[in-house]
Amino acid sequence: MTDEDIQSLLRKRRWAAAFELLLDRYQKKVFRLVYSILKEAAKAEEVTQDIFLKIWQVLPDYDSRASLSTWLYTITRNTSLSALRAESYRKTLPIEDFEPSAANWEAGMQQLEIKQLLQRLPEVQQQVITLFYLQDRSVEDVAHMLDLPEGTVKSHLHRARRALADMVRS
Amino acid sequence: MNCRETQERLLESFVGAVSPLEKSQLERHISECPECAKFAVLQSQLDLRLQEGIAAPQLSSGFRAGLRARIAWQPREPWPDWLPDLAYLAGSGVAIGSCALLLPFPVPVVLGTGVLVAFLAYSLQTILVSALEQKTD
Repeated sequence: MTDEDIQSLLRKRRWAAAFELLLDRYQKKVFRLVYSILKEAAKAEEVTQDIFLKIWQVLPDYDSRASLSTWLYTITRNTSLSALRAESYRKTLPIEDFEPSAANWEAGMQQLEIKQLLQRLPEVQQQVITLFYLQDRSVEDVAHMLDLPEGTVKSHLHRARRALADMVRS
Repeated sequence: MNCRETQERLLESFVGAVSPLEKSQLERHISECPECAKFAVLQSQLDLRLQEGIAAPQLSSGFRAGLRARIAWQPREPWPDWLPDLAYLAGSGVAIGSCALLLPFPVPVVLGTGVLVAFLAYSLQTILVSALEQKTD
């Protein structure tokens, strides 16, 4: 399944079929992008639903001159940033995402610690480094999802790593 | 390769592949420089912790069902895109026909004028709508 398959269905005005393919292909990536911005899984899922609902509503207006993924990621970033501005939940670390059971207590605590370290980085570095690991270390994917040049993504990654190393050392 | 270059290459190695030549240069420098060796160990540990700490979140099993339920509540499009054009055409036809029947002018003149006015009005409306759509986008 490719973007071309989806665009072909859109040209035939088969909105429901195109939307199903779009979900299959992009729901995970969109969710991860939202999560990298909001940093809370439950809220990210809610906003991901909002995004796909919006996409369903504007699907007939999609202009095939723009790449499908670029269009989708633009809507995703804008909606996520609006959600971020609208809510103040970010002020505290959402620990409900990190409730380690007895069996994975150590891993859970480590996750919590990494999250706390990441929170001390500038926002863009947090997003870049989170997405980098969520997207299996693909700089190309991160650049595309955040609409940044690959060189800029690498530069943010390097700065974030240096900063995190300093935090760990201190 | 100095320390700064070594550390940059080392950071680069976590992001993309480094060439075999660069790798051997890195290893040589690190084996001779305790500061860069410490940096390399720290970065490797950090990479491992980030890999383990940034776990991919999963969408819940009810995600799609919830989305479908929300979509089902959305109002349907009241009419297809082409319906207003058809309505305009039909309305213009009725108006021109009525004028041709009722007005005390020769029928060809009324029909010709009616078609011309309807065409001009439709063109103007199309231009205005597309301008508004572009502005909205």
